[in-house]
Amino acid sequence: MSSFINYLLRIRLPIVIFVALASFVTTFYVSRAERDGVGYAPDQPINFSHKLHAGTMKIDCQYCHTGVEKTRFATIPSAAICMNCHTQARTDRPDIIKLTEYYKSGNPIPWKRIHRTAEYAYFNHSVHVGTGIDCTSCHGDVANMDKVSQVKPFNMNACLDCHRNPEKQLPYLKQVKKGPEHCWACHR
Amino acid sequence: MDEHNKDPKDMNKDLLWRSVEEYKSGGKLDDVHYNEFMPGVKEEFDPAKMGSGISRRKFLALLSASAAFTAAGCSDYRDKGELMPYNKKPEEMTIGEANYYASTCSSCAHSCGILIKTREGRPIKVDGNPDHPVSAGKICAKGHASIMDLYDPQRFTEPQVSKEGIYDLISWKDVDNKVLLALSTLGAGEAAFISNKISSPTAMKLMTELKEKYKGIKYYYYDLFNDANRSAAWRECYGEDSTPAVIKWDQADVIVALEANLYGTDGNSVEQQRLITSRRSVTDTKKFNRIYAAEANFSSTGANADYRLRIKPSQYHDFVMTLINEVGKRGKGKGLIPKEIAGVLSGFSAESFAKKAGFGPKSVKALNSLVGDLLSTNGKSIVYAGETVPVEVHVLVNLLNEMTGGSSLYSNTVSNVELHKYSTATEIADLISKMKSGKIKLLVNLDANPVYHLPKDSGFVAALKSVPLVVSLATLQNETTFVSNFVLPLNHNFENWGDASVRSNVTSTMQPVIAPLYNTRQREAILLQWLSGSSEGYKETAYLDYLKASWKESNDVTGSFDKFWSGIIHDGLKLEKENKTEDYKFAVEKVASKNPLNEAKFAVILAQSYALGDGKHANNGWLQELPHPISKVTWDNYAAISDKTSREIGVKTNSLVEVEVNGKKVVLPVLIQPGLADNTVVVELGYGRTKSPVVALEVGKDVSLFMKSLSHRVFTNATVTPVDGKYILASTQDHHSYDETLVKDVKDAHLKRHIIQEGTVKQYEKNPDFLGKKHALISLYDEHKYPDNKWGITIDLNKCTGCGNCSVACSIENNIPVVGKDQVIIGREMQWMRIDRYYAGTPEEPVASYQPMMCQHCDNAPCENVCPVVATTHSIDGLNQMVYNRCVGTRYCSNNCPYKVRRFNFYDFRDHFAKGYYYEQPVNLGHNPEVSVRPRGVMEKCTFCVHRIEEERSKAVATGRKLKGSDVKTACQEACPAEAISFGDLVEKDSEFKKFHDHNLAYHVLEELNVKPNISYIARLWNTNTEEV
Repeated sequence: MSSFINYLLRIRLPIVIFVALASFVTTFYVSRAERDGVGYAPDQPINFSHKLHAGTMKIDCQYCHTGVEKTRFATIPSAAICMNCHTQARTDRPDIIKLTEYYKSGNPIPWKRIHRTAEYAYFNHSVHVGTGIDCTSCHGDVANMDKVSQVKPFNMNACLDCHRNPEKQLPYLKQVKKGPEHCWACHR
Repeated sequence: MDEHNKDPKDMNKDLLWRSVEEYKSGGKLDDVHYNEFMPGVKEEFDPAKMGSGISRRKFLALLSASAAFTAAGCSDYRDKGELMPYNKKPEEMTIGEANYYASTCSSCAHSCGILIKTREGRPIKVDGNPDHPVSAGKICAKGHASIMDLYDPQRFTEPQVSKEGIYDLISWKDVDNKVLLALSTLGAGEAAFISNKISSPTAMKLMTELKEKYKGIKYYYYDLFNDANRSAAWRECYGEDSTPAVIKWDQADVIVALEANLYGTDGNSVEQQRLITSRRSVTDTKKFNRIYAAEANFSSTGANADYRLRIKPSQYHDFVMTLINEVGKRGKGKGLIPKEIAGVLSGFSAESFAKKAGFGPKSVKALNSLVGDLLSTNGKSIVYAGETVPVEVHVLVNLLNEMTGGSSLYSNTVSNVELHKYSTATEIADLISKMKSGKIKLLVNLDANPVYHLPKDSGFVAALKSVPLVVSLATLQNETTFVSNFVLPLNHNFENWGDASVRSNVTSTMQPVIAPLYNTRQREAILLQWLSGSSEGYKETAYLDYLKASWKESNDVTGSFDKFWSGIIHDGLKLEKENKTEDYKFAVEKVASKNPLNEAKFAVILAQSYALGDGKHANNGWLQELPHPISKVTWDNYAAISDKTSREIGVKTNSLVEVEVNGKKVVLPVLIQPGLADNTVVVELGYGRTKSPVVALEVGKDVSLFMKSLSHRVFTNATVTPVDGKYILASTQDHHSYDETLVKDVKDAHLKRHIIQEGTVKQYEKNPDFLGKKHALISLYDEHKYPDNKWGITIDLNKCTGCGNCSVACSIENNIPVVGKDQVIIGREMQWMRIDRYYAGTPEEPVASYQPMMCQHCDNAPCENVCPVVATTHSIDGLNQMVYNRCVGTRYCSNNCPYKVRRFNFYDFRDHFAKGYYYEQPVNLGHNPEVSVRPRGVMEKCTFCVHRIEEERSKAVATGRKLKGSDVKTACQEACPAEAISFGDLVEKDSEFKKFHDHNLAYHVLEELNVKPNISYIARLWNTNTEEV
């Protein structure tokens, strides 16, 4: 009997604990990106290509994302902004026809959300863009994406990595100050 | 002798006390003071008592099982929902940035200018319009809270057929047709339109046109609070067409308030607070004004007065006669005294009055000082009687002001505008008899509530049954809509076009900031539809077009009218030229020397409620929950009586008494109010609504049934008898008290603790450092470093009048929920900002002191060290941060907070209050999107409006400048009509703010604890004649 308990405690238990821990740690790290939403690229109601507009045609990000320098929100363009060009351009394409229908109906286009910080985090685009931080530092090289996907995690770790070591994360900035680290800078 | 019946003379006279109960216990603490959380806090969480009977363990098991199943069933866990951009974005809107629109407040007839803050098209906050010459950027608590009326979930959304409170939908057209039919077939009959005061000149014009079209229309105007006595006396003194003058309060050296609450319910309190306190700045003590209050009630003006005289209503007359006599005797204005009273004057000397009123030595001194000041100030003194004071006394007050030269403070460039006269009592009586006789074919209630307001035995309700068609225009259900045939839903003020003129130097305009949320129309648009004679072709812009046309007509504009109009709407007002107004020629034909109020056993004063107005605002939880400035009672009215009287009739606070006036009886809970005149009962009006959405229901008692006419609110023929039973008033006065266990047996503990520090102007002028040395304190901790900013607030107690506007503004700005009466009773009110009110002296002659108290953002914050999950921490700019997501609700922080300023969400109060009344749509539209809505189980507290700081910081970073203290204004600071609160950066060494923060008179509360609070208080200076208070 005692040898059985001995076996249980000395061999069986450590193995069980090891296996449990190892599988937890492996799953934790392997699924990390997945859980953070990295790689998330949902189908959109209209197959809008950033690669075509921002990449090939080199339309400035702010032509559409008008709020990015002024407010907390970069803002998704209204259908009316698309129609600035698309009343004329490529009106025969199926997606443009779809866009025109949306525009005429007066309803908003229900874009799938890709990037999201938690609702209790009050991220401010204007401050970051105003300091010279490039959109790509968080959103990746959107100008080369046909279909936008999330390339970086949007959790507090990611924020703090940059706030603490901006020189390392944003090497292209000549002068950069550390970002604030106190709670109420983002949460309130 | 039982504790309660002890004579106050045996008490410790140095004690600083909050309630009569505390005074009587000699400052010893009961459980309420000792325990941070009140008894009974845990009881309702006993699972055995809960309906479900599920134990905590079982509940958790079920919870985890269901969570596991949900998780397993989820497929698209990465889905983050949708982003809905505009289809066509309105040009003026930037998402995430607030827009401000100038408009006019309609919470009361004073029509202050307002700025409405909108985010993404939703109004979220109201503040004063700084350009408005009368309100100058400030509004009262009612104005601040009015935004919540817009989002009231029980607003009328469609026209209704009403039958004894059962409402059915009907179309606008049907009701319009019925009204039009009635109007066109009036014949010899009459259509009665009942309204409160109208301050819009264009609405007035429209109403006149409507009357021209339908000759049978007659307008009736009434208000529960109409200041009729002042107007009547004014007409008697200055001629039939004269309206009471605008008073230049900021030029008065001496102000005598006779039963007048200048800081609350008499006149435009916002303007008065601003002008009067502008003369109480410690940087220039030479300019201090001196305030006397002579009153039976204990008003917040009395609480802030340098000298307060406690007189009974029956003594108003004698008091003014005494002053007339004493001033006249020394030769001032003697010639003005009419002969009717010259003969009897000699009977009214200061000495005999003091004796008759039973003045103590302090009051005698005050009376003598008052007479001396009236003689010496040379026209810079004003005596002002309140709206409940009888006409005869108002006439005498006018005479007194002429004698002292105080009439020179009547403005001769600006006057009050009256667009119409109120209907007289006879006109109203005529209306009722015409209703009974069937002569009234149509009765339209233009957003008033006559069933609730008009004297109950006038027979209005019964007469209403004989009127074939009764139509009410209203936003919420009320007593009149209940008995109307049809209810037409009105827009909220923020959905309206309009204008208002209450002063000759300004006309303010009103613009909608949101499209009507429901199928509602504005009052003027409804009348306009009737004027058109057809129920067809309603346009939302109909009244705008009319308004513009009317303005075009009355304004001689050179150039483009549209340009002029856009400018006016943008500014929200048009300044008019200041012309010389009428000369107020004092010509008294007859002065009654008879006292209109006889001395009797009990007097009853029906006072105006601080927050609810005439009951119109009763369905606003934020106003109901604002503690009364003096008694700190929420959610109720009560019979306030003095300590001596309470002992005589053998009642205590929360006992019940039956008050009988003119054969009408009401049972009311008692509140012992220090400083109240003996044998006087003060009850507030505006409570006891019987037909209303749920917030206002069963709150207090309606005492308007004592009233025989709308101008008569003081009764001297009352009887008061105790009745059995108990009724708990939800008073916050003993809540959130400092822990005084360590010092409770030390003599003069409050002086050693320096919570309230006061002195006199004379004392200060003699020795500016009279407050004494600050504590020499050593800390074990390293000091925090503040490289950029360190936020602080300075609160000038000389200016704070205790009105509570800051508290309401804070609640709206920071999404603070309403908790309800049951929760206030157990100490769970959530307001981040409370106004502490202390009494010193005896219950007969108390000296009250106010102190706004919120999170002090201590450098060595005691809350921070005790949080087991680091949910409250110190920021680099000196703020004490609360992280809701980390908080697990241990409440240790609150326990360890010496100031008791932390608030715990025992419930999701929005869900809990009135069965989720404030959880319904569209209340959430009014939330400030920059502030998290806190869930149940977390602690919260004042944040110094950190979202405003961060907004300004981001602007500063974006433009590359340094963030300055003056960039940020907190919500409480913006709301304070007296400018008592200033916010700034303590790192800026040379700023005005920093200098004021470190003023000789500045002190920290509980400084000896060495928690280093960042709020400093400027000690109050009483402007007395002597060095003593």
